[in-house]
Parts: sequence; C-alpha cells; structure tokens
Amino acid sequence: MEAATAKLGRGRKKRGKTYGSEERRLAALLLTPAMAVIALVAAYPIGYAIWLSLTEYSVRVPGKWRFAGFDNYTEAFGSSEFWDAVKNTFVFTGISVTLELAIGLGMAIAMHEAFKGRGLLRTVVLVPWAVLTVVSAITWRTLFEPNLGLAPQILEAIGIGGDIVWLGQEGYAMAVMILADVWKTAPFMALLLLAGLQVIPDDVYDAAKVDGATTWQRFRRITIPLLMPAILVALIFRTLDALRIFDLPYVLTGGSNGTTTLSLIAHQELTANRLIGYGSALSVLTFIIVMAVSFIYIRTVGGNIRSLAEEG
Amino acid sequence: MKTPRFMAVLVAMVALAIAGCGSDDSDEGAAPDAEKATQAKASGNVTWCIGKDTTGAFGTVIDNFNKANPNANVKLLELPEDAGEQRRLQVQRLQAKSTECDLLGTDVIWTAEYAAQGWLLDVSDFISQSGDKFIPSTVDTTEFEGKNWAVPFNSNAGFIYYRTDQVDQAPDNWEDLYKEAEENDGVVYQGFRYEGLTVNFLELVYSAGGSVLSEDGKEATADSQEVKDALTFMADGVKNGAAPKAVTTYKEEESRRAFESGNATFMRNWPYAYALGKDSKIADNFDIATFPGFAGNEGAGVLGGYNLAISAYSKNPEGSLAFAEFATDPEQQKLMATEASLPPTVTETYDDPAVKKAMPFAEELRSAIEQAQPRPVSPVYPQISEAIFNNVYAALQGEMSSDEAASKMNEEIQKALETF
Repeated sequence: MEAATAKLGRGRKKRGKTYGSEERRLAALLLTPAMAVIALVAAYPIGYAIWLSLTEYSVRVPGKWRFAGFDNYTEAFGSSEFWDAVKNTFVFTGISVTLELAIGLGMAIAMHEAFKGRGLLRTVVLVPWAVLTVVSAITWRTLFEPNLGLAPQILEAIGIGGDIVWLGQEGYAMAVMILADVWKTAPFMALLLLAGLQVIPDDVYDAAKVDGATTWQRFRRITIPLLMPAILVALIFRTLDALRIFDLPYVLTGGSNGTTTLSLIAHQELTANRLIGYGSALSVLTFIIVMAVSFIYIRTVGGNIRSLAEEG
Repeated sequence: MKTPRFMAVLVAMVALAIAGCGSDDSDEGAAPDAEKATQAKASGNVTWCIGKDTTGAFGTVIDNFNKANPNANVKLLELPEDAGEQRRLQVQRLQAKSTECDLLGTDVIWTAEYAAQGWLLDVSDFISQSGDKFIPSTVDTTEFEGKNWAVPFNSNAGFIYYRTDQVDQAPDNWEDLYKEAEENDGVVYQGFRYEGLTVNFLELVYSAGGSVLSEDGKEATADSQEVKDALTFMADGVKNGAAPKAVTTYKEEESRRAFESGNATFMRNWPYAYALGKDSKIADNFDIATFPGFAGNEGAGVLGGYNLAISAYSKNPEGSLAFAEFATDPEQQKLMATEASLPPTVTETYDDPAVKKAMPFAEELRSAIEQAQPRPVSPVYPQISEAIFNNVYAALQGEMSSDEAASKMNEEIQKALETF
C-alpha cells in the first residue's frame, strides 16, 4: 500500500514541509539534471507537437507553410471520422479494461493459492504479455481468416456464426480486437493484482474465519477493500494504454468496420497523407483526452487510495 | 609491375565479355552508345534504397554493375517489404535532406508526390534518349507536370485466374465472370480497406471508360455514371454471393490462399500468384487471362511496379543514373524476371526465351501492362486513394448506396485536391 501511495506522488508533501530550507535548496539542485532531461525528452516534443498542430505545411509546394491557428482543431471537431474514432476508442477501452480486470483478478486469486508448480504457472501465464502486440495481432488475424482460420472452423463446428466474417463486420471486428487485447493483457493485470494480494496478511483471514465469515464474505469484505489500491493502479495503467491503442486495429482491420481509433487516424494523417498540422492536432487531442482521463482517475480514485491507505 | 598489368587485362576482358553479352541481344544501333555513356559516367559510390531483396536478384545486378564499372561502387540499403513502410522511411530521409540514399526504389504512385516536393532529379533527358526501349505505359508512371522524374524499373498488372475444371475459358466480360462466379464457387479479389481496393476498383472504372480525376489533375470526376456503375457492380457482387462476404478482409495473400485452397472459381491477383499456384493442390486446374471487358468496353488494368528515382540530395547523380540505366538494360531485366519474377519494363525482354520459360504468361503479361493505365497522378495521391477505398468499402459493406458513395468519393477527392 505504501508503494502504491508513493507511486501516485501523494503523501510526500506533508513530510516535505519539515525539511529545512537548506535541504530544500539541495533537493532542488539535485533534481535539476533529472528535470532538464525530462524537459528535453518530454516537454520539448510535446511543445513542438502543439506548435505544429497550429500550422499547416504544404504537400504540394516544397517548404511552404502557414500559421493556421485553430483551423486544424476545427476541422477535427467537424469530421465524423474523429468522433467515430473517439467513440471506438472509448468502447474498446471500457470493455477490454473491465474484462481484463475481472479475468486478471480471477487469475491472481488462483495463482495466490499455494499449490505445486505455482512458480512455473506464474511464469507461463505471463507469456501472452511477453509476445509483441504486432506479432500477436498477426496471429489473431490468421486465426480469424475466413474459412481457413482455426477460429471460424471451431466456431462453425459448435454451431456459432457459420456465415460471420469476423474481421469484416461491424461489432464482430471490435469483439475480436477486444479478445486479442484481453488475451494479451489480462496476465499483466493478474501480475499487478497478485502483488497486491501478497501484502494482505493471513491473520486478517484467520480472524474472519474464527468469527464465522463465509468465503464470499471474506472475499467481499477483506480481499476487495484491501486490494483496492492495487486494483486502481492496475486500472490506471491499463486504461491509459488502451486509450492509445494502435497496433491491434492497424494489423487486424486497418481501422475498418468500426475499429478505427484515435492513434490510428493520427498516424494515417501524419505518415500516409503527410498532413503534419492536422495529424499533430489529432495527436494533441489524443494526448489531451488521455491526460484528462488520468486526471479524473487520480483526482477521484487517488483520493480513494489515500483514504483507503489511511484506514488500512 | 606484373600484377597491375594483369589486372588491367582482366578488367578489359571482363568489360569486353559483358559488352559482348549486352550487344548480342540488344538493338544493334543504340547499344554501343548507351554502353559508352554508362562507362564514362559510372564512378563513385551510390546507395540504392529499395524494398527488401527477397530473392537476391538486386544483389546480383549490383555485382554485375560493380564488376563492369571498377570505379563505381553501388551499395544496397534494404527497406522493409511493406510499401507503406518503405515510403515512410524514404520520406523521413528526404524531409531531413539526408544524402544517405542516392537512388530510390519508388512505387509508381509516389512519383507525383516526391516530384512536387522537389525531392527528385529531372531525368527527362535520359527518357527522351533511351525511353523507346520501355513499354510506353510504364514511362507514363514517371511523369509529372510534363517531365520525367524516374526510370521505369519493374512493372506489374493484374490477371484473372480461373479454374479450368469449373469453367471452360475465362469470360469476355466482367458481367459474365460474375454470373459464372455466382453459379460456381465465386470470385475473390482484394476487398480489404487499403490501396489494393483502390486498384481493384479502378480496374473496373477504367474498363468502363471512366475516371476519378481529370486529365490535368485539378478536378475530381468521380461523381459519374461509370463510377456509380462500377460501385453498383461490385456491391451487388457481394450481395448476390458472386463474391464471398469475406473479400472485405482479403489482401493479396488472403485471396491467393482462398483460391489455392479451392474455395473460389475466379481470382483477381498479380502475376506473383502464378508460380505459387503451380505448387499448390490446384496446380493443374487453373489458368490465367488478361482482364475481361466491362460495360461493353475493352478491359483495362491498373499499373503497379517500381521506378528508380534519383534523390535531389544525392552526391552522385551521374553514378546513380548510370546504375539505373544498367539495371534497365535487357540483360539485367531478364535476370530479374527469371530470378525474382519481377515483370520487366523493357519491351524486348519479354521475347527472350529464358523469360518465356520462367514466365509462361510473358506474352499475356506484356499486353496486360501495355493496356494498363496509371493511377491518378497527383501530389495528394494518398488522400485520393483513401477517398476511393473508404467509400468503395462502405458500398461493399452495404453502408452506402452507389450514388452516395460516388458523390462522397468525389467530394473527398475534391477536398484532397484543395489541400494547402
């Protein structure tokens, strides 16, 4: 729990006040190199992208450009493609992260039990997560190839969706994309939650057992509340990742059939169409959306973690 | 003293031998001049940036050139296999004015864009001197605003593949082809939402006598009867089952696998699928034909292939041009046709017995390339293509009527043309 609190950068301030001004100056001095590096590798590119998003570079006359103000943003807000991408990105994020949490929690609880070969299982479970997303996406694409792929053949044999073209129909394409993402990242979720489970002391469970609590009650009243900080950290990680999803739709569907995402359209405009201004505006909007979601998480959920940590 | 003289003799012998080989097969009058020019110019280092050399044929051409030109040294810089990635890496270098690449292997659809940005050197002089050896349509792909910006390197045009155990011969027109497809196991093509769909669609539009862009490249012409007819035809094909719904997920490889596994009667694909098909379980049961006609007109294809363009930032344009010239001499073109199945751009190479043996369809291929047309020539081609494949895809999926798709396509092409 301490670890989780520290990660979110809270709870330190109070103690900071007790340092002498001498020490604070030293701290600032020691932090300078790190800050400079962050400014160089994070602040500069972000600032430059924001600047580019306010310009327009000609794709027909070499070197010609103009300051475009908010034109690129107005264009984005007026395009149905942008709103489709926003909708798809949130649908994908909402469903996949929820499923990953449920499955990851189940896996974590299973792995937490003591049994023979637990160490091996914990390693094996991580394999999907270790596979590169592009590689797993190509595998899924092949699995779902119409007629010849393994998945449609199996599904047809058990009587599901004989004439469904999984990657070629709206809804189904998103379902495959979510499946591929859940398969890959549920283990990551499980690992984070397992770490959280391991810090819950056994005494609490023993005491509850003595008081006659059922398994469900112990799960509901002990495991979930004490695991909450780990769950929230895992949710933040996964949500931010899912909002930036690019590789899965790029390989699986090329963004067709209701699977286009924010990162995908930004990539299309920047590299294929070379619309540097418009593409940058889309990237900045993606950045703002991701920042806003993290802000909401940290505000609402971060507060929860603190109060939970204090209670615990 | 002894060694250098020995080397000189050896070099002279090699040069003679190569010159001899060259003039055996080539046009007597033009060959000596071209060779003299090549040897005079060829010196210094040249880096050739082109897609992956999967068969090793590019390496062989380079070795031949370096042997024939002891003062020159051509080096291969392999880009990824995927065309989109190749373009991304080239554009990155060109935008940064990098001198790393001297000679670029460019997809025929990139010419206008690169030329408009001032990234390429004008090679009109070379084309006007020795452009006659190329199939005329391949030279068209090097043109932008009245000048030539590249040397045609290899070409490509689609074919109809058909099952000889299901139909007697390839139909004369697309209408009959779809009808026979519906009665048998269907037709597969590249219906995924990407560049390939633009090509498949334009083949029908061009056959119908239509276009999507005016001759001068300034006006969208997609809101036309020909475009609507092509859209209706393709969409109905999917609706009636002439083409399986699955074509909306097919690129080249998926189409090929479906055809080879015996799931389709017809397939539209590039020539590369021929040799692979002859290794599959339907090896003895298929043949190929040039495109059928459409809407009462002759069939027309869409040109593929790669050109060799000299980077404006090259430090050795002369050496680069000399190599481009060498790589397009009939002997090297033959080598790439036989070893890498790359369709030559040089007319006479198709008559070579070795080429005919390696590509039994050489005659059909040359006429397919001759009748094929380039895709719209415009610096904003990527956006034009996106406007085409997005709306064709929507029509295939039944999300839009042909009229809606044609007018939206037209609107988006017009918007692309007005890009800053």
